[in-house]
Amino acid sequence: MHHHIPSEVPVRYLPRDKTMNTVAGAMFVVGLLAFVFRLNQDSNSAWISYVTNWMFFSSIAMGSVMFAVATWIVKAKWNWSVRRVSQSGAAFLPIAFLLLLPMFTLGADYFPWIDMMATDYIVQKKAAYLNIPFLISRNLIGALVLFGLGTYFVYLAVRPDMGRTEGAEEDDEGRASWRARLTQGWMGQEQEEVSSYQRMTVMGPALVLVYAFVMTIFSYDWAMSLEPHWFSTMFGPWYFMGAFWGGVTVTGLWSIYLRTKHKDISNHIGLQQRHDLGKLTFAFTVFWGYLFFSQYIVIWYGKLPWEQAWIVRRSGEVWGSYSTLVVCMCFFIPFIGLIGRKPKMVPKIYGFFASIIMVALWLERYGMVAPSLHHEGDPIFTIWQPLIGLMFLGLYLGSVRWFLSTFPVMQVWQPMQDPESLEAELPADMQGPAAVSSD
Amino acid sequence: MAVGTTERGALTHPDVHRLDDVNRDVLKMLTVPGKGWWALFGMCVAGVGLFLTAWFWQIYKGIGVSGLMSPVGWGVYITTFVFWVGIAHSGTLISAILFLFRAPWRQSIYRAAEAMTVFAVMTAGLFPLIHVGRVWHAYWLIPYPNSRFLWPNFKSPLVWDVFAVTTYFTVSAVFFYLGTIPDVAAARDRATGLRRKLYSVIALGWQGTDRQWHHFGKAYIFLAALATPLVLSVHSVVSWDFAMSIVPGWHATIFAPYFVAGAIFSGVAMVITLTVPLRKVFGLEAYLTVKHFDAMAKLCLFTSLIVFYAYLSEFFLAWYSGEDPERHAFWNRLFGTYWWATWTMLVCNGFVPVMLWFKRIRHSIPALFVISIFVNIGMWFERYVIVVTSLHNEYEPFAWGIYRPSIVEMSIMVGSFFWFGFWFLLFTRLLPPIAIQELKEVLPPPMRKKKSPEAAEAH
Repeated sequence: MHHHIPSEVPVRYLPRDKTMNTVAGAMFVVGLLAFVFRLNQDSNSAWISYVTNWMFFSSIAMGSVMFAVATWIVKAKWNWSVRRVSQSGAAFLPIAFLLLLPMFTLGADYFPWIDMMATDYIVQKKAAYLNIPFLISRNLIGALVLFGLGTYFVYLAVRPDMGRTEGAEEDDEGRASWRARLTQGWMGQEQEEVSSYQRMTVMGPALVLVYAFVMTIFSYDWAMSLEPHWFSTMFGPWYFMGAFWGGVTVTGLWSIYLRTKHKDISNHIGLQQRHDLGKLTFAFTVFWGYLFFSQYIVIWYGKLPWEQAWIVRRSGEVWGSYSTLVVCMCFFIPFIGLIGRKPKMVPKIYGFFASIIMVALWLERYGMVAPSLHHEGDPIFTIWQPLIGLMFLGLYLGSVRWFLSTFPVMQVWQPMQDPESLEAELPADMQGPAAVSSD
Repeated sequence: MAVGTTERGALTHPDVHRLDDVNRDVLKMLTVPGKGWWALFGMCVAGVGLFLTAWFWQIYKGIGVSGLMSPVGWGVYITTFVFWVGIAHSGTLISAILFLFRAPWRQSIYRAAEAMTVFAVMTAGLFPLIHVGRVWHAYWLIPYPNSRFLWPNFKSPLVWDVFAVTTYFTVSAVFFYLGTIPDVAAARDRATGLRRKLYSVIALGWQGTDRQWHHFGKAYIFLAALATPLVLSVHSVVSWDFAMSIVPGWHATIFAPYFVAGAIFSGVAMVITLTVPLRKVFGLEAYLTVKHFDAMAKLCLFTSLIVFYAYLSEFFLAWYSGEDPERHAFWNRLFGTYWWATWTMLVCNGFVPVMLWFKRIRHSIPALFVISIFVNIGMWFERYVIVVTSLHNEYEPFAWGIYRPSIVEMSIMVGSFFWFGFWFLLFTRLLPPIAIQELKEVLPPPMRKKKSPEAAEAH
């Protein structure tokens, strides 16, 4: 299992494609129109679709950046050719931040605790946390820091590449203008690489902490608190590990898509990379099952009325089949599908099961929210959910495609070839994460 | 089992150049022991004496000699049981999960970690027997119908525990044994007399043929894949001993991953605690380098963060719940009778490991040794806090009570460390504590040196 990173990585881009951009743009427009239309028809349901789609797309974008961060921290060599693919999620992060802002206008229709605060003795005790000004400020600051740091991490990874892509055969105007933007204050190739390496290495672990913390807040505020008597310490980890799993899987999906675009890409995202991506997809599928089961069995066994209410609501006549579908698609189907060696390596089979996982995760996020706000007699799932989702999908596909066609698909700069030499470049007291706070 | 590459190996072990150096250095450890070893061993034998005396005294007088009584029916014994099961985790983590993740730094430490796992489970397994008091009835836990066709209660997490821990013991013992076979054969080839006979039996006729290596590699990777879910499952089941009941402070959904992370945390700390003296006593500086300790320290830091996340979310959600019993349980932890135990836990597990962010500390072996001891203490107290503070104040204030561990309980707890040390010391003398064959894989293969350009051309 040798991981030879070639000393010269070819500069390859996802070819620009007007048709695909039009498709992504059309998705956005259709989704936006659907949202506006639905807002007039049934604003509550429109907002549930909006929030759950935001939860899903921000999760996979942030999750894939975190996948890049995690493999960076452990100095992984195997993913040298798909590292940039994971980083591509960062293109959606600024958009995710903007899309969060309208959610701050939500009121008593979305947050049941607003009305309950007047009468409910238990909810009153939570007033210090469950109030709109604090909710807005913690989400605003949290998203700003998390998405900001995520984007900055990817900027640091892309910047040293700019010195190596100059004069590459596939250069065009867009690429050149972004190169000019990203290379302000250029210190020279070697110095840039050392500086990026060091900053990313210092930032990585901090980003992991911020990720766990902020994603936990997202999960509590936009999903858990919708049943204000219910709480589960597993909810945060379930949410952010699901997002990480989505990030790994979406990296796998983009990787097999990119392979069809150029021979060099297809050669370098080889059997080894696909096998490893497949193994990680499988491993986090199992991990999702583990977290889900660990939460479920404690609630089931404890049988406390206020605690099982959350499960009961999701397992009764109305939502039972939906929940069963989610568990099958999140766990049983990909578990059986991906357990062998071949399905992990054959792009078509892997792509099939990875797509199932993406849909499953999308349904799972909806299932965290919608049942809590569901009114008796209403349909549990309508065509508006995917239609409004198109708005997010269009933006996600468009931004990631833009990223992969503006910056090299395979990171040209490969510090993990020999990280020791980069560490040695630094003065002794600047080495390692200690540099942030040691003075 | 090609785990590493030659480049990586050369980086990992800069002072070891030749394959026979490895045999010499490692097998040297199995020859006549020094005074240090005998002194430690003598101490452990005395400690085991204390352990057995206290236990026999409890069997003779009855469980009343412990401090256990209503409402605190679980005390130091269960605390120590969970502690040792936790310690047992890093062995399988290092040998199975890090193997599957192809982390090359595991090679020098995994044998010691696996041995630690086996002995820690052996130690942990004694505590349910000690705890039940009438140990002669312990076989009731074994699942078979008794004369009235009654089975043990499968709905009880305590019975799940029996399965989880025995499965874990079996798999980790087999895994440990399998990994030693080629090394025992190497030891056999050098030994004489009784030792040679013993090693011959253990080595199962290993000759190091291609065919044998092929089977060995296959078996190893399959066992690694089988053992990986066990790392998660065992301590999850142990956590459910608590989480399944509705005692405030126990009934939390995060318990399974939180216990697993804590187990790995304490296990890695124990590996550091054990390998630092091992390295010193046997002069293994070339094999257990600062890089290995750096990696272990990072793993320790990472798991410490997970554990601290769990603490924070438990405290926060206890407040957020708005439920009085839940709120009281966590307030009582911080400021109640057992506040000192909780703060010991928080300081040792949450604050002391913060030092591991600094590379200078990760590279200082004495500092790591001290931190690892703090973590061991902190993780013992974590279980003590969970067990005792939750039970002593449950729902009904009229049923509240204070638990004070008796001298018998404390002797058995302290003695268990010596019992564990006793086995570990024997292990360092009987089996190669560092995996010879895996180290060799990462060293540059033996090549004839080029004599001169002409000679090479003539060839």
